[in-house]
Amino acid sequence: MSASAIFVLDLKGKVLICRNYKGDVDMAEIDHFMPLLMQHEEEGLLCPVLSHGSVHFMWIKHSNLYLVATTNKNANASLVYSFLYKLVEVFTEYFKELEEESIQDNFVVVYELLDELMDFGFPQTTDSKILQEYITQEGTKLEVAKSKVPTTVTNAVSWRSEGIKYKKNEVFIDVIESINVLVNANGSVMSSDIVGSIKLKTMLSGMPELRLGLNDRVLFALTGRDKGKTVVMEDVKFHQCVRLSRFESDRTISFIPPDGESELMSYRINTHVKPLIWIESVIEKFSHSRVEIMVKAKGQFKKQSVANNVEVRVPVPSDADSPKFKTSTGNAKYVPEKNLVVWTIKSFPGGKEFLMRAHFGLPSVEKDELEGKPPITVKFEIPYFTVSGIQVRYMKIIEKSGYQALPWVRYITQSGDYQLRTNV
Amino acid sequence: MPYLGGEDTVRELRRALSNPNVQSDQLRYRNTILKVIRAMSQGVDVSGLFSDMVKACATVDIVQKKLVYVFLCSYAALNPELSLLVINTLRKDCQDPNPMVRSLALRNMTNLRLPSLMEYVEQPLTAGLRDRAACVRRVAVLGWAKLHNLQPNSEIDAAVVNELYSLLRDPDPVVMVNCLRALEEILKEEGGIAINKPITHHLLNRLKESDVWGQCEVLRILQRYRPQSEDELFDILSLLDASLVSPHPQVMAATLSLFLSLCSGLPAVSLAALERVRGPLLAACGSVSRELRFTALCHIQLLLRSLPGLMGAHYKRFFCGYAEPAYIKQRKMQVLVELVNDDNVTMLLDELKGYCTDVNTDTAQAAISAIGRIGRSYSDRCLEILTGLLALKQEHITSAVVQTMRDLVWVCPQCSDTVCLALEGCEETLQDSQGRQALLWLLGVYGEQVSSAPYTLEVFIDGVRSEVSLGVKMELLTTTMRLFLCRPAETQDMLGRLLHYCIEEEPDMCVRDQALLYYRLLHCGIEETQKVLQGRRSDPSLGVLIGRPSEPISQWACSFNTLEPLRQGTVETDSTISASRCTDASADVPASSIAAPLSLSLSPALSPEEFERLWLQRQVLHSEQEQIQFPAIPHCSPQSLQAAMQLVNIQTLAFTPPHTLPWRVYLYTHTQHAGDSPHITLILGELLYTGEEELKVTLKQQPRDDKALKGFLSILTTVLHTLVTQLVWFIAR
Repeated sequence: MSASAIFVLDLKGKVLICRNYKGDVDMAEIDHFMPLLMQHEEEGLLCPVLSHGSVHFMWIKHSNLYLVATTNKNANASLVYSFLYKLVEVFTEYFKELEEESIQDNFVVVYELLDELMDFGFPQTTDSKILQEYITQEGTKLEVAKSKVPTTVTNAVSWRSEGIKYKKNEVFIDVIESINVLVNANGSVMSSDIVGSIKLKTMLSGMPELRLGLNDRVLFALTGRDKGKTVVMEDVKFHQCVRLSRFESDRTISFIPPDGESELMSYRINTHVKPLIWIESVIEKFSHSRVEIMVKAKGQFKKQSVANNVEVRVPVPSDADSPKFKTSTGNAKYVPEKNLVVWTIKSFPGGKEFLMRAHFGLPSVEKDELEGKPPITVKFEIPYFTVSGIQVRYMKIIEKSGYQALPWVRYITQSGDYQLRTNV
Repeated sequence: MPYLGGEDTVRELRRALSNPNVQSDQLRYRNTILKVIRAMSQGVDVSGLFSDMVKACATVDIVQKKLVYVFLCSYAALNPELSLLVINTLRKDCQDPNPMVRSLALRNMTNLRLPSLMEYVEQPLTAGLRDRAACVRRVAVLGWAKLHNLQPNSEIDAAVVNELYSLLRDPDPVVMVNCLRALEEILKEEGGIAINKPITHHLLNRLKESDVWGQCEVLRILQRYRPQSEDELFDILSLLDASLVSPHPQVMAATLSLFLSLCSGLPAVSLAALERVRGPLLAACGSVSRELRFTALCHIQLLLRSLPGLMGAHYKRFFCGYAEPAYIKQRKMQVLVELVNDDNVTMLLDELKGYCTDVNTDTAQAAISAIGRIGRSYSDRCLEILTGLLALKQEHITSAVVQTMRDLVWVCPQCSDTVCLALEGCEETLQDSQGRQALLWLLGVYGEQVSSAPYTLEVFIDGVRSEVSLGVKMELLTTTMRLFLCRPAETQDMLGRLLHYCIEEEPDMCVRDQALLYYRLLHCGIEETQKVLQGRRSDPSLGVLIGRPSEPISQWACSFNTLEPLRQGTVETDSTISASRCTDASADVPASSIAAPLSLSLSPALSPEEFERLWLQRQVLHSEQEQIQFPAIPHCSPQSLQAAMQLVNIQTLAFTPPHTLPWRVYLYTHTQHAGDSPHITLILGELLYTGEEELKVTLKQQPRDDKALKGFLSILTTVLHTLVTQLVWFIAR
């Protein structure tokens, strides 16, 4: 791994905050970062690794910040990037938004966090739940007695501390699936997959022991057995609290949950799903005069379900003007700064079909610039429904004190990266 | 607060820090310190406040302590004497009942990075190793690594090393992993921590306890372990199987790396492991983070070097999204080119065709050259697409298409008819020098088939006065010469004008010399000129191989899961581009005319092992292939060959006995320019005779130096020539 130093820069390349972990790379090297970045960007050779002499900069960009790790070794690149993303994750949990202002407003906490997250170039405590127990944002308040080491730093159950109390014991379970689809201009589905996750919001006292029951079909898929009938899930990740050995032996998901919000598991299914909202589009461009757009949207899901907040975003040429729309339902709006027509349908029942027509004028003098062919993108949410058919059968909650607790389950399917290419 | 310049700020802060009223009010004191740190972060030089800040660290307020330590660690190097004052407070803090304070003090003690303070630090560090709080032990363990890093030459205390080894059994997994890291650093000279069987098994058993970072560290260090028996090896492998398909791509990659190093002697097992990680690797390619996606793609490129068919069925996973950054798109296209087969070629080309009109010109050009690469195996389909793209009349597209076509006909001369048809009219759209150079080259080589060639050239020659690109001028000279040879009537007049301009008026010496060279060549008569300009070209199938042979895994295994694969691709493409330019521009110039005075030397000597290692290392060396017609060479005795080579300071390292087929000789030398600065390059060579007319010469060079290579080749040719004439003479006798 071995990152020598970590820098947080603003968009102009000015160092906002930095931490020298190893001292084997001159801290002034960072001055070369921005010029290098600009130079590579101009030449079209931009790359997540930039090098100046023997110093390598590995960088990511987040809102109006650059996070840069320097190293002069042949470091493990994927670990360094993961660490930078971990930084983003931790900072975001602390400050809600990670951006220049929040770094400047909270630089004391940032220094403290940078101190705990890494030592001598090696990641140390990176779990934000644990960090939050002994690095608090009320740093500006004076507390002399505080700052005991939380038991979690050394505890066996590192993700939950003891002595948590709630008046009302509840667990909220969200099953969320996002659909990624790429459809070619000729209407064939190029790729599609489902990215799912089970999220928990735990408000339980003490050290509860939870057991989550899923339907068999999903369980078979999870363990990769019975390959014939079920789809195979790839890339299944459990939160570290889940006892994996238990899962492997008898397929029960049992765990002591972290307090508050957490992601219990995530998975990806690479399968040919029928696009839930199918779009057919005819975009006719008459040079120098007008563009005519006809978009047909069809709900390809069960009649009982309803998709909410559907947004169909259709690209239009950047020099288009005088928009006119006609829709069979919902309303269409022209967003000139993004060169889009956004057609919004508040509620879209399954099996239904809707139509939108748009008409734009084009200037008689054509631009020289080449324009790309952005795809049509669709956003939607379908509650009470999952594409994979995953279902929570039960959630058992056992705690020493024997309190009654209620689990609440919610299902939702939403659009992820949902793209349909166009001809124009 | 009013705006204050740097100096004023410092003065103001000093006054506040030394004000007894501020010092007695904790809240105000801390706020002042906060201002100091803020000024420091903003780049104001606050090092002058060092002594005031030293006083501020004696406090019970932990946050204030942390802030002061941040300050002290940043400026300690500038104030080594004053830093001594801090040590006392730090050492006192190491006795604090609160483990947080203890670990904080220990960490910052070692972060001061002052060799003069070493003697004060060692004792608290030793105590820290035995602290009952894990968070103090974590810091103490890494503290020893920092200490050693500060004074790498100092004696290593064996007791500390032993203690660190025993802490590998610490109940806290982070302490365990930190011990590994510290021992790696401390024992760097001895090759890192000693990994024996009990340690290996201990680490493997506790692997699951660590977080992702820890697991990766353990897996990386285990790469050094060599199992004592095959049974043990397979036990380890089956234990690691779950990690191999771990959902964390970092753990997966680290495990694969370990697999490859453990199974270096069992290629079948390595291949099976690669098959097994296919799923997780593809998943990593779909990662949300673009940097991780990029990393995964780069590593897939490595795997494909050994297993080209690994991802063939999953080519759709490498299709580009509209909003993906250019660097990912380009890598994906490079992967797609590798994956092409009879089943997917139609879909794949369709997709690539879509990228050719990308708004980003670099992406568009990369897509076009990707199609050109596929054209080496599916030339008809690709040429159809490429010709179609010309109709768009877009400047950057046309340029890329013409360059791609030039590179394609070099490998597949059978495409020349289609290419020539497509070329008509291109010159109007072409603007950049690269594209025009490519067009000129094509016109020169296939001038007979392009009816409008002389007219196109005429436009170029008329505009030569305002031409800025050196490359275009050089190419123009060569092209006009070539066209003159096949269509003299139409070209003679303009060739005259061009030569006259280049010799009399051209300011650039390179162009002038080339023009003079051609002019004198023409004086030697048309036959001589033809011999030089239309002479043999090196066999294209040798230079750029179509189906690259798959490499053994060991070639890239050591760079797997590091930074190297991310940087490789860009460097590689650069060198191939420049290589193709060089061969084009100088292909026609007789070697002897440009050979600068070159001296060869045998020192430093190269051992056969070293030679073999370098020879197999592809990326480091620049390689070139050439053919020489000396069929008689393999009949001469090894002794005479060796003697002849040694006369000119070329060392032969190994050869097959005479009269065997294929007959090979390996040799090496160092070149040095007589005039230039001491610029030495190493040249490795292989002579290969397979029974045909020609002798194949493969040369590899480090670092790259085309001039030296040309010079060396001419020397080699002369030696071989002399040998052959002697041989013929000998046989005749």
